[in-house]
Amino acid sequence: MLNNFFKIAFRNLWKNKGFSFINIAGLAVGMASAILILLWIQNEMSHDKFYAKSDRIYTLNNRDKFNGELWAWNSTPKILAPTIKHEFPDVEEAVRYNDATFLFTVGEKHLNVAGGFSDSGFFRVFDFPFIKGNPNTALDKINSIVITEDLSKKLFGNDDALGKVIKIDSADYFTVTGVLKSLPNNTIFGFEYLLPWSYMKKIGWDDEYWGNNSVRSYVLLKPNVKQADFDRKIKNVTIDHTKNGEDPSTTQVFTQLFRDRWLYSKSVNGQYVGGRIETVKLFFIIAAFILLIACINFMNLSTARSEKRAKEVGIRKVAGAYKSSLVSQFIGESILLAFLAFLLAIIIVEISLPGFNHLVDKKLYIDFGNPSFWLFAIGFVVFTGVLAGSYPAFYLSSFKPVSVLKGTFKASHALVTPRKVLVVLQFTFAIALIICTIIVGRQINYAQARDAGYVRDKLVYTYIQGDVNRHYDLIRNDLLGSGAAVAVTKSMSPITQRWSDSWGWEWDGSTGADDKTDFVMMAADADFAKTMGIKLVEGRDIDVYKYATDSTAALLNESAVKIMRLKHPVGAVIKGQGVDWHVVGVMKDFIYESPYEKVNQLIVMGPKSWFNIIHFKLNPANSTEKNLKLAEGVFKKYNPQYPATFNFADEGYALKFQEEKRIGTLAALFAALTIFISCLGLFGLATYMAENRIKEIGVRKVLGASVASITTLLSKDFLKLVIISIVIATPVAWWAMYEWLSNYTYKIGIEWWVFIAAGLLSVAIALLTVSYQAIKAAIANPSKSLRTE
Amino acid sequence: MIKISDLEKVYRTEEVETVALNKLSFEVKDGEFVAVMGPSGCGKSTLLNILGLLDDPDAGSFLFNQIEVAHFNERKRADLRKHNIGFVFQSFNLIDELTVFENVELPLIYTGVKTAERKKRVEEVLDKVQIMHRRNHYPQQLSGGQQQRVAVARAVVNHPKLILADEPTGNLDSNNGNEVMQLLTELNEQGTTIVMVTHSEHDARYSHRIIRMLDGQTVTENILI
Repeated sequence: MLNNFFKIAFRNLWKNKGFSFINIAGLAVGMASAILILLWIQNEMSHDKFYAKSDRIYTLNNRDKFNGELWAWNSTPKILAPTIKHEFPDVEEAVRYNDATFLFTVGEKHLNVAGGFSDSGFFRVFDFPFIKGNPNTALDKINSIVITEDLSKKLFGNDDALGKVIKIDSADYFTVTGVLKSLPNNTIFGFEYLLPWSYMKKIGWDDEYWGNNSVRSYVLLKPNVKQADFDRKIKNVTIDHTKNGEDPSTTQVFTQLFRDRWLYSKSVNGQYVGGRIETVKLFFIIAAFILLIACINFMNLSTARSEKRAKEVGIRKVAGAYKSSLVSQFIGESILLAFLAFLLAIIIVEISLPGFNHLVDKKLYIDFGNPSFWLFAIGFVVFTGVLAGSYPAFYLSSFKPVSVLKGTFKASHALVTPRKVLVVLQFTFAIALIICTIIVGRQINYAQARDAGYVRDKLVYTYIQGDVNRHYDLIRNDLLGSGAAVAVTKSMSPITQRWSDSWGWEWDGSTGADDKTDFVMMAADADFAKTMGIKLVEGRDIDVYKYATDSTAALLNESAVKIMRLKHPVGAVIKGQGVDWHVVGVMKDFIYESPYEKVNQLIVMGPKSWFNIIHFKLNPANSTEKNLKLAEGVFKKYNPQYPATFNFADEGYALKFQEEKRIGTLAALFAALTIFISCLGLFGLATYMAENRIKEIGVRKVLGASVASITTLLSKDFLKLVIISIVIATPVAWWAMYEWLSNYTYKIGIEWWVFIAAGLLSVAIALLTVSYQAIKAAIANPSKSLRTE
Repeated sequence: MIKISDLEKVYRTEEVETVALNKLSFEVKDGEFVAVMGPSGCGKSTLLNILGLLDDPDAGSFLFNQIEVAHFNERKRADLRKHNIGFVFQSFNLIDELTVFENVELPLIYTGVKTAERKKRVEEVLDKVQIMHRRNHYPQQLSGGQQQRVAVARAVVNHPKLILADEPTGNLDSNNGNEVMQLLTELNEQGTTIVMVTHSEHDARYSHRIIRMLDGQTVTENILI
């Protein structure tokens, strides 16, 4: 029986090559899109779930009230983890993690490498597999270092790294005590090495200050400890430890399962309720829709061709087939087709994975060696086959042999056929995606066009490393003297990033209510506004070279002045970070965070604060290459061991649009795919329509109809469907985009022409698809078509 | 074999109600060869479809081998049909994508006959209708007469007790038509009951008895033998 089914299926596929192609290609493209998205979802869902003790690993988080609103965040005091480990017997292990970038030197090799510090218990919590070394003791000694396989290759080639010595910065030597397998692509951790916390302490980066939330803390709870119970116990740990000090805290501590962290990181009312999980859900819906749209093609083409298969159904029924055996035959056929499409889809996925990975910034791959992939493949093929095949199967198998075999059978031409509904569904989805693509694109353009408030062009920054700090004045002079730069300033963070913020500031006229007002902090030695090209509204730049007292000077932005309610900001004194700062100038607001949000209050502090970055404005008289060459010479001269790396502010600024651009590109991609698949189906339907109405067209032509009128006649029905789709898609897309835009303060309005444009575009595409068949049918010689009757 | 009494069938569309069978009653005995004649639209085909369990009557009784089948559901009808009834159509109704052999094999597949046995029986019957040499051809590659012989082979391969033939020679020239009628006569002589709808007086003369229908009722019965 199966044999017979397959024979029929293959012969049908072969006999109708065009339709088989449309069916298989459409389904393959749909499946490939779904597989790509599912790979991404799988990666997201598996994030940090692979540790043996995943069910007992928690992150420590803070919760506090600011401006009347509860917030949760996961950077914690350095003292928190050891305190909790010491005070609560429920804790099996508690470790901290802090990012760090150091210069590594092995022989003549110099490399800036990103890694981190952690406590010696790190690998007892997170069991990243070791290639060499003992995970339990690897971070015990102060001069030990654990590196990844990748870094080992970079530093030592194929040699065994264990026991080898690495110089870190210009100061200290470390012995490799462990080599890790390179970290998987689904973990939050991105280090290439880990250094022991004891070293961090040694270089003075550790502190026991409860108010400095700067590191991540993780706890491994003992088996059978309930999270809610533990949370109750640790809730007041920070409060208890600070209540007798001079700076009592109101911050509560709570845990979150570490494996949930990736997907649930958005804080609402002090709870982690959403985050990437929302994108995951959205993508899942999109994958399901694209697959559904591809399946709809199959359904429509199968039912459209039903008149051709009807006779077979009748004969089989007469020969004694049950309805159920016909249903399984047709579903079997569509599973076969889905299987062929799946093979093609895998090829498409393999070809498009590098591009897709680039787009979503991941390293996804198909794990062919994994049995669960094959299990998924079978499930996916069967699911798609059944989804696509069930409606045609029930439709076809319900034909009455009587009418079919007598030749009186005609498929219904009812006003609302399921086929039309399905086409409308396809185009609704496609048009909605087109609308979204346009609106996302416009929102990005809008934010990009917003005045940043400073001049990004020719603005370069570099990290202060090695001897740079010691020779800063010489470097500054040389940069200016060599003609590489026209202005230089030191700062705390790159102009495009916010690294630090703090509350507890006081100023003339501040009240207790201002205590929890958060200010973003930056720092400068001199020429901050000049280098950045920021407009000063009042006063002057900080300049320690001219005014010795400027080490405690400060600049405010307009927002800060407003929130402090200062009438005469210049000359005002503001207290914070243990210093009394005197304000020397007010800057126009400039965008250092999100270009989609309002600019927050900012304080730029004088050199009494601290510096990590040097910014300089390249000399407009020289080419950029020449400027950078000169600058490199300067840095190499005073800091020879370190590679001179320069970052451009405009590149940093462009990063702010990355996420939105990604969404925009994905929306465009999905829109294009959906349109493509839908049009493939439309083309198939048009072909059948032209075939079925060939006699009617012949008669009309004989009676004097023009080619144009026949083309219109044939295209009209499809256009109607597309127009209905526009009507449905418009409110749906409007709502979706309204929701999306509500994430942004600085945003575009949704304009009516977007919907018209998307509608016209889809009409044009649909028309183009259908008219080929319509014109072909219209210009055919009627004598031919009428003779065939 | 067949006993129908007061059989009724009405087709309704939105505007029209057509009475296809109007309290029709007759009987067909085992081994009989009955021809049903009448003008177009008199209900012949409806009758045949009901006899073949492809359609169900609106009212009345239909005894098939003494079993009341008028209200069987689709599955039960299919069961009864596949073991007892063979069909021959005017337009042959062979599946274009299957070869001669595979077309004839089809009813055996649905009755669950094993592969080896199927091969044997299909070859036997193809031999009988003298189309064995064309067993691997597709229907489009055969002449009308050949196609109808294949259809007859398919109808009898399961050794049905009853063959229903719907104008079996309607699409054939007289030579081919006679051949097919000869074939049916032979089958009848071997014990198969045949009910044949036809427009042709010539063909009707092969039968034992002619039932003439008009407006869904029998008007006369002529006994030929």
